[in-house]
Amino acid sequence: MSDNFNPNIVAFLCNWCSYAGADLAGTSRVQYPANVQIIRVMCSGRVNPLYVMNALQQGADGVLVSGCHPGDCHYMEGNYYARRRLGMLKDLMEFIGVDPRRFNMSWVSASEGHKWKEVVEKSVEDAREAGPFEGFRRRQIDW
Amino acid sequence: MDLEQLRKIAAEVVAREDVNYLIGWKQGTYGYRVAPVFIEDPADASELIFSPLCTANLATYLTLVEKPPLPRGQEPDTRKVALMVKGCDSRAVAQLLVEKGINREGVVIIGCPCPGMVDHSLLAEKYPETEDLAEIKWDGEGFLLLRDGEEVKLDRYEVLAEKCRLCRYPNPLVSDILLGEEVEPWEPEEDSGVTEIEDKDIEGRWAYWEEQFANCVRCYSCRNVCPLCYCEDCILDRLNPDWINRSVNFSENTAFHIARAFHLAGRCSECGECERVCPANIPLGRLNRKLAREVRDKYGFEPGLDPEAEPFQASYKPDDPEDFIL
Repeated sequence: MSDNFNPNIVAFLCNWCSYAGADLAGTSRVQYPANVQIIRVMCSGRVNPLYVMNALQQGADGVLVSGCHPGDCHYMEGNYYARRRLGMLKDLMEFIGVDPRRFNMSWVSASEGHKWKEVVEKSVEDAREAGPFEGFRRRQIDW
Repeated sequence: MDLEQLRKIAAEVVAREDVNYLIGWKQGTYGYRVAPVFIEDPADASELIFSPLCTANLATYLTLVEKPPLPRGQEPDTRKVALMVKGCDSRAVAQLLVEKGINREGVVIIGCPCPGMVDHSLLAEKYPETEDLAEIKWDGEGFLLLRDGEEVKLDRYEVLAEKCRLCRYPNPLVSDILLGEEVEPWEPEEDSGVTEIEDKDIEGRWAYWEEQFANCVRCYSCRNVCPLCYCEDCILDRLNPDWINRSVNFSENTAFHIARAFHLAGRCSECGECERVCPANIPLGRLNRKLAREVRDKYGFEPGLDPEAEPFQASYKPDDPEDFIL
């Protein structure tokens, strides 16, 4: 794919770790690609697999879900459930033919501003390689 | 299986004080048709059959029962429901018990060891359906078809349903009454349907499913027939939030099929009903079996084997695989 393509990436970040981590990256003036649209959720376990699908249907080229490291979840076990569910979602989407690079998951803690930068760079690079995801767009009806 | 014995036991069960009705199979009205039957009177037990055409998974009816509000002063009927199950159906029942969708005290499970079912469409292709009722029996390794007064011997693998080729649990895993002798499990075949798609590259898979999902008319038969799709408030019926639009186009169809398959991840008992009822012949079983394979290989979990187990998606292990995490 051409390097000019700027993918849209929707990132679901947990309130307690990853959102704070992204915030830290911001306050520390860490430069990272501006392709991510961040949506704050209370826990990565809150991310319904349908969120991921809806994001892809509504114009995202990639989706990133980020939560606390295993064992650090504010709600004790939310990220373990997320890991199981979203891991399977990734397998299923790959089976249907969605490029697995469109969906990434990461653990970013509140102190890992630099890891957040790396994660975003990796997701943007992945989505750029996978190219625009036109096949799955929701049909827009302009009345 | 001895039909006399089946009918005798069924009549005894229905005659019990604490049993409301029995769900079983009866002869249909023409050709190879078999219909579900609800028996409340012991005298009607003579209608029951168990033949290689009893493909339908009756566990669906446990959760399909409508429970309208009762008139004042009337007590709800708490009597048990008796249900005839094959091996795969019993896994669905076990999974319902895991999820507390039904009460163990509320059901009497009559297990029927199943030597393998016939695929209706394969059979009708070779021996077209007639107006008269035809009968089919297990005969040693194969099947015996009685049709138009003649007997036809059928080779087992000529007409065996796909789910039965892959079957690992032909005997009921949960049952209160077991009819007849347990059958010897056969060597399951390699799941070529799933492997065929896994061997394709990403574009090939997308093209394959694009072709399949384009046929989907969104009749939701697959959801309605599934014994494990019993949410009272289904995401497909919900208007707010509107997860999956009603419009029938490729994007929404794909979203629907991903959601449907995903909701059955770690729950599907592989009874193959979704695939059987699909009017567009979409190979839905492949989606379910792919997830079942992942769940088995990666997480070491198989649904429907133990009614006391934890539900797969509502439990976790600290050492679940996380090789996909950045």
